[in-house]
This record gives sequence, C-alpha cells and structure tokens, in this order.
Amino acid sequence: MEGNGISRRTVLRASALGAAASTLPLVNVHGQSSGGKLALGLWDHWVPAGNDAMRKLVMDWGQKNRVEIQLDFITSVGNKNLLTIAAESQAKQGHDVLSFPTWEVHSKADLLEPMDDIMGRLSEKYGALNPITEYLAKVEGKWRAVPAISGSQNKPALGRIDLLKQHAGIDIQAMYPASATASPEAANWNWDTFLKAAEGTHKAGVPFGLAVGQFTDATDWIGSMFRSFGAELVNSKGDITAKSDNVRKVLEYAKQLCAFLPGDVFSWDDASNNRALISGKSALIFNPPSAWSVAKRDAPQVAEHCWTFPAPAGSQGRYTPYLPYFWGVWSFSRNKGAGKALIEYLSQREQAETMVAASNGYDIPPFTSMTDFKTWETEGPPAGVVFNYPVKPQHNAQQFIACYPAPPEIAVQMYNQGIQAKMIARVVQNNEAPDRAIAWAERELEGFKRG
Amino acid sequence: MSQGTLSASIAPGSTAPPRNSAMRRLSRRNSTVAFLLTLPLILLILGLVVYPFLYAIYLSMLNKRMTRFVGWENFTFLFGRETFWNVVFQSVLFAVSAVLLKALIGFILAHVLHALPSKGQRKWRGMLLVPWVIPPAISTLAWWWLFDPSYSAFNWALAGIGVDPVPWLGATGWARFSVILVNVWYGSPFFMIMYLAALKSVPDQLYEAAAIDGATGWQKLRFVTFPMMRNIISITVLFSLIVTFANFDIVRILTNGGPQDSTHVFATYAFQVGIQSGDIPLGATVSLFMFPLLAVFAILTLRGVNKRTKEMT
Amino acid sequence: MSSTTAASFTPAETRHGSLKRERRWAMIGAYVALAVFVIFFMTPPFHMLMTSLKSSGEIADLSGNPWIVSAPTLQNYWELLTQGNYLIHFKNSIIVTVSTVLISMVISTLAAFALARMKFWGSATLATGVFLTYLVPETLLFIPMFQIIGGLGLYNNLWAMVLIFPTLTVPFCTWIMIGYFASIPKELDEAALIDGAGHLQMLWKIFIPVALPGILAAMIFAFTVSWAAFIYPIAFLVSSDQMVLTVGIVSDLIRADTFQWGKIMAGALMAALPPLLVYAFLMDYYIAGLTAGATKG
Repeated sequence: MEGNGISRRTVLRASALGAAASTLPLVNVHGQSSGGKLALGLWDHWVPAGNDAMRKLVMDWGQKNRVEIQLDFITSVGNKNLLTIAAESQAKQGHDVLSFPTWEVHSKADLLEPMDDIMGRLSEKYGALNPITEYLAKVEGKWRAVPAISGSQNKPALGRIDLLKQHAGIDIQAMYPASATASPEAANWNWDTFLKAAEGTHKAGVPFGLAVGQFTDATDWIGSMFRSFGAELVNSKGDITAKSDNVRKVLEYAKQLCAFLPGDVFSWDDASNNRALISGKSALIFNPPSAWSVAKRDAPQVAEHCWTFPAPAGSQGRYTPYLPYFWGVWSFSRNKGAGKALIEYLSQREQAETMVAASNGYDIPPFTSMTDFKTWETEGPPAGVVFNYPVKPQHNAQQFIACYPAPPEIAVQMYNQGIQAKMIARVVQNNEAPDRAIAWAERELEGFKRG
Repeated sequence: MSQGTLSASIAPGSTAPPRNSAMRRLSRRNSTVAFLLTLPLILLILGLVVYPFLYAIYLSMLNKRMTRFVGWENFTFLFGRETFWNVVFQSVLFAVSAVLLKALIGFILAHVLHALPSKGQRKWRGMLLVPWVIPPAISTLAWWWLFDPSYSAFNWALAGIGVDPVPWLGATGWARFSVILVNVWYGSPFFMIMYLAALKSVPDQLYEAAAIDGATGWQKLRFVTFPMMRNIISITVLFSLIVTFANFDIVRILTNGGPQDSTHVFATYAFQVGIQSGDIPLGATVSLFMFPLLAVFAILTLRGVNKRTKEMT
Repeated sequence: MSSTTAASFTPAETRHGSLKRERRWAMIGAYVALAVFVIFFMTPPFHMLMTSLKSSGEIADLSGNPWIVSAPTLQNYWELLTQGNYLIHFKNSIIVTVSTVLISMVISTLAAFALARMKFWGSATLATGVFLTYLVPETLLFIPMFQIIGGLGLYNNLWAMVLIFPTLTVPFCTWIMIGYFASIPKELDEAALIDGAGHLQMLWKIFIPVALPGILAAMIFAFTVSWAAFIYPIAFLVSSDQMVLTVGIVSDLIRADTFQWGKIMAGALMAALPPLLVYAFLMDYYIAGLTAGATKG
C-alpha cells in the first residue's frame, strides 16, 4: 500500500493556511475541502518506470484535489488481478478503482458504476474509439468501465531484421518503415508469405516463436489469424458456426505452419516467446515491445536488430491482436465521484502521452487520435523499432480481440480455455483431421453456451 | 512408544474404575472439560472450514451468474463434458503415481539414513530436506526455468551428451512426467522424515529377536519393520494423497493444464473455469467432485489406523 | 531396493565374516542410493544458487554453461535486501508463521489432550472429522472465505493469514499429538490425579514434557506449512506491504512477461533459510527424543 501522505490533518492544515484556495478542487465530495480517501488497484506495469509514472500522475492528482490516495499495483502474474477482482466482488470491499483485464468488465458489470458520462465527454474530445473496447466494456448499452491506457497492448509481429532478410528474403524495415507510408511489398505481407518465411527461418535454426498454448499471447495471435481467414467459431448471436470451410482452411494452414515451429510451442506461455527472441533463437514473435525492451537490457546485440510490424493479412483482412485493460469503479465504493474524476483525468491526452513515454511505447490508448505520440517514433535502437506498434492507417489493419464477435459470456470461456489453440494442437499433435477437431470444438462450445 | 509415532487413536479414557473421590469428581467433570479443551478446535473448524464448505456446496448449486438455484444441474453438466473426465483421469494419475513414488523414495531414504552412523546422518539429512523447505510456489518456478524451451539447463546438459532437446512441458507424455517429477521432488522429504521418526521408534529388541530366529533382511522388513510402521505409512499416505489431489501451484506454474488440457488437475481446472472464465459455481462443482471418493478412502484408512492402535495398546 | 534397505538393518555388530561383508556391501549400497537422491534433490537448488549469482545479462546469454557462473555477483542479493519490499515480506512471513505456529500448538495440544484422554460424546467422530477437513481444498474454500474475511474487515490484511493458516496446520498437528499422548502410560495420569493435579496441570506437567518430541514434530510441520502457503496469500493480500514472501516474490519480481530470474532465485534461497534452520536445530532433538522413547519401548 502506498500513500501520498495526505492525511486529514495535513489537508486541514493546508486549507487553514489558505493553500486550498489556490487550486480549484475538481472533486468536491460532501462540500468539504477534502475529497476523501481513494483506494486504487492498478495494473502492475511491466516497466518499473511505468509504475513510477503512474504513481506520480495519481499522487499529483491526489494532491491537487485533496484526495488521500492508497495505491496498489496488482500484478497479472498468476492471475493475481483476477483473484483480486473475484475477491472484492465477493467481499464487496477493497479498492474503489480497479484495473479490469479484457473480459472482466462483462462478468462484473452489475457491480460496476456506469461510465457513460465520462465516455461521452472523452469521445467528444478525442473522436473515434476502437470498437473492440465497446464490445468488451459496453454492457446492455451502458459503459461499465473506461478503456485504460496503462496496460492496454497490441501484439503485432516483432521480428529480427537481419534473420528475416537473410533466411526469408524479407526486409521488414523496408516493408514497414518508420514513416507514414508502407512500401508496395506490404501488400504481399500475408499468411502465405509468412509460411514461407517460417519455413526459411526454421531451416536456418531460428524458427518463429509462436506460442500455441493457453496463455494470452497464443490466444491473441491465433485469434487474429482465425479472423483473417474468416474462420468464426461462434457468431454474434451465439450460434455455433465452427463447421465451415474457413475453419478447415485455417486449421490446415496452421498444420503447415506448426511444422516449422519449435516442437513444444503447445505449452509456451507469455514469457516463452520473449525468451526465444531474446536468446537469439527465434526470428519472429507476436508481442508488445516488452521482449525488445528486455533484450535492450540483457541482450543488446539482439535488440538492435528488432523491428515491430503488423501481423500478416488473410483473405478477410489484416487484424492486429489487441488486449485492452479497463478502469472501473465498484458500485460499493464509498468515493465513486473521486474515482470517476481520476479515471477521466488519466484518460486525457497529456496523461496518455506521459504513460506511453514512460512505458517505452508499450501502452496503447483506445483513441485513434492518440496513435501519433513522439515516443513511438523515437524509441530505439534501432530508431523507430515501435513505430508500427500502434495501428497506423497505412497498415490497413484493425485491432482485434480473439473470439470476437461471440457474445462475451461465451467468448470469455473460448478465450481463457484457448479453444482455437487446442484445435490446432489436436490437428498437429494428435494428427486429427480438421473435421474431427471441429467436431470436438463444437461439443466444447455447446458447453460454453450454458447460461 | 512402541507403536508408530503417529498412531493416532482415540484412546479410551481412564479405563480403570475410579478409585477415590478425586477420580469420581474428575469423571463427572470430564466431558465439560474435554468440551472446553476442544472448543477452540471446534470453532476453528466450524467457522473456517465447515461453514465455507457448506456455502461452497450451496454455490455449486447456483447458475453461472449466481442468481438462480439449479440443484444438481452443474454436476450433471460436468459429467457430460469430456474435458472434465480427462481432468479426472489426469488428477488420479497425477496424485496416485506421485504419492506412490514419494512413499517409495521416502521409505528407501529413511532406511538408508537410519542405517548410517549417527554422525554422518545429520549432513545427509540436511541435504535431503532441502526440497521440502523451499516454498513450493517458488521452487516450482525454478523447475520451470530448468524446463524452459529456450533456456532449459537440462536440455543443455543433454545436448552435451548428444541427446535431442526434450519438450519437457510441450508434449503430453513429457508434461505429465514433469509435473509428477516436481511433485515427487518436493514431497519425498516429508515422507522421509515421517518414516525416519517411525523407524527410530521401532525397538531394537524386536530386530534382535528376529535375528535370533534367523530372519533374513527381507523377513525383518516384512515382519518387523512394516507392521510397526503401518500406521504412520497409512496416515502419511492419506495426508499426502489428499494434499496432492488438491495441488494447485505446480501444475498452474509449469503447464497451466496444457498441452491440450492433458495436465489439468482439479484445482487448476476449477480455477480456469471458476475464476478465469467467470463461472464460480461450476468451479466449485469441479472442486467438490473428489470429496465423496476421498472421504470414503480417508474414513476407511483412519478406521484401520484406530483399530490397529487399539489392538496394540 | 530390497537388498540395500533390508540389509541395512543388521543391527548390532556381528563378528561373523559373511555378515561383515554383507554389512560393508549394504553400506556401500546405502551411500550409492543416498548419492543418487542427493543429486536429484539438490540439482534444482544448485541451479538456483548459480542463477542467483548471475547478472541478468549472463542469465539471458545462451552461449555459456547454465550450470556454472562465470562472473559471480552478489548484486541480486544486495538489491533484494536494500531495495523494494523483500525485507518487509520476510518480516511479514515471520510474523504470520510464528503466530500461526503458536495458535496451532495451543489449539491442537488442548484438543489432542482431550481427545486422547477423555472419552466424551462425539470424541471419536471429532478426531476423524478433524482430519477430514483436509478433504476440502483451499481452491474451493477461498471463494466463500472472501466473504468471511471481508465481513471481518480483514481483506488485504496480514492478520487474515494468521486466522486462516491454522486450518491448514491444526488438523495434522492434532493427529500427531493424539498419537503421542495416547502412547503415554496411563499410570502417569493416575499418579498425578492421586496427587490432586487438575487437568491442565496434568497436561502441563506430564503430557507436554513427555510428548515434547511429538510437539516439536507438530511445530516443525506447522512452521513449514505456513511458511510455504501460497493460495490464501495470493488470494487475500494485495498491498505489497501486507504480503508474505511466497506471494511477494511472485508479484514483485515478475512483471508481466519479464522475470527477474536472478532475484527470484536469490529470494527463494533466502526464503528457504528459516525453515532450514528450524529443521537443523530441532530435528536432532526431535529424533533424539524419539529414539529415547523407543528404547524405553
């Protein structure tokens, strides 16, 4: 627990000294000079500097608004954040504001304060919002949480410039340069090209490091691949649509692709692919810039050859894996006003820019108008390594969450149980025919539909 | 002290008839005092085990959103899922093989240590206890690092003798082997100390008598050691079996149930269903599944232990 | 197996040549078996030690031998002890564990005494029932527990652990002690009763001293279990200053997909020290006590 050291007494002393008059409180609960106490449980950022920047933003806001802040950073390791959410929703106490990962807003919707007012003001100010956030946080027409900047991430391809040039004949830096234009070759950056590159690098002993397990890194890129093949397991009405040519196609494709991946990708977790890249054993992974950033510290000779660029396209388009976090206020919070005011403050462009800069460009704000921050251009070496990390117009891509557009209560199970990855594992590891894997998935999905 | 150290028994109270007024007074007050002495235990168990347990049973009979009572529906639903039956199979495989191996290794080590001169014993004992004293949630991380696809120090060593890298956690067979291996590594020292303590309490006279009768080493083991240690073996195996069935951290950290759910045990599957996928009632149902089976096994074992203790006293 | 273990029983010195030879072979077999298992048991801790002495650059570097350290550094240990909350977690673990051990010992000694010596209505059921509480897994209990702990206002509070951990330790401790108490000859209590001692005096003056090895065994068990507990702390402790070691290491030294391996290993090894010390000091006494009891037989 961290505090900003504002106790009621110091607040009173401050106001007695007349200091209170100099700043206009944004929050004024019960008409007192103190904005009360606010307990925050925010996502524990992977960059220590990310936590520091967030702490500073929050504490400064607390000072200015006379709100006593208690700040906890809750890690997503071991799903600690999910446990915390479950605990607080059962205990009906804990923090006022929490960071909610992807699917949790839907499942806890009836315990969360509506955020329509904030979302209305924000979208008036900053324009178009990524539709995936709406799918995840708007429940029965009401926003139940605000898409967070801190922690929200894309998972585009993160490749080795040298290895891909040498073993696959692709110059990723030329294909997606750090500028507002994409080269003509970018049009050919599709799953077929990807397969050939996978084969080339596999032969050279530096295979692609694509996880096919049940952790989010695996689920996210596989989800985008399914989508770009038009392979949909459950439609938005909740009907099972797994038996389709597109699903068969994507499974057959995945089988070819897996032949060129390391044998144990089926148990890889979110860190295995990072390690494959950092160790120099892999030419490409799908990941936010964390892998690059650790490499910069531990293996600089690897980091300087890294480049972020969009995922390949399929017949149905190009989809960049996206994993957002949300900020929500519990309905049992005793200081909802302050909580909402803080969330609105953190969602502003200036704060977003601070967080993006502090996190080496890791955080992805939900508004398209906020994809032009300097950090993404300047971060390096190599300079521009994360230029193409946020989705840019020239990518012709959309951000995507795996299992969309299935109704979220079904999708959350598909997502967390990695059903698409398991279908691939069945086809590859058990050598099942795609139709058998589909039949298996249909039975599983039938179970997920349980109300 | 001739029976196993853990020869838990409900020893009959003072069986001798009260001989004086103190004894009579005592037996009148007996049950009140006994009740008061066990009260903290009863409160602890009622408040922090029985009540939440009953509540969990109630939870398991609610629908997914926890708004409606559905009775046995969650159970019938689970019984229709093939993934669930895989979890049952894997849990049994994991727990039974891990407990057997732990019991066997603990037995061997206890005997070997017991036979050592007492001076050297301490040092060996200290080293053999190390796995048991490192918190398992963290030592499992260390194992995981040893199994890591890119950095596996095992595979590095294997490469040194020309063996291909092993997908420790990537292929069903190896992944099952690995989770059991880590559990055995962590749990064997517990069996070792329990058995060692029991061995020390077997009176030497019994072995001397057996030696005079011309018993071979095997016969001594079979007819002296084993019967003397039966209670402690039963209790340790029972305890370990229950705890291993409920194991969470090892599988969670090493494989998270993969590949293809082939290493899921009840606890990790319940966590995935209940906490990660937002279906707490179904998660509770998964956790409850083993209760009746283990309860029958436990009651039979404990009754056996009690019976043997009574025969011995 | 049978040859080594069984033969190792040969008790007193025997002067016959064949037996002597058999004994020598048994000892060799015993040491071979020991060596094999020591290697198996010590491999991961050894690798942890090596990793804890490496810089993160050396850990990430694949060209070196992972089993040895080329440029040893104590930086990981130093940083753990000087920065961050490791020492707070350590202190918390000690507070929680010591409190849990004390509470467990009080509860289970009292209960074991009553269950071993006084027959009362339901005593047999209670003794069995106590052990059966282990059948209810932590992963099932923590969800209802959220409400209980929340209702007591102990959510995200260190002392919630002191309240909950006895459920993990007390049943087994009670069973160990019932066993010990039951083995104390009844003549002793009768003598005490004739001297006019009350129940508590009897427990304090006779049972506890005589059954001390059993109490130590139970204490060691309670210490290990509460020191290593993981699920409840990770479910109930959120603020870093309330965390115990197990959850503190996992949540402070791993950031999303970035593991600070050197520090994790250093933290784990230091976390293993207190239980190791407890074992080192108490085991001798414990085993000595047992042996003494056994010779009385």
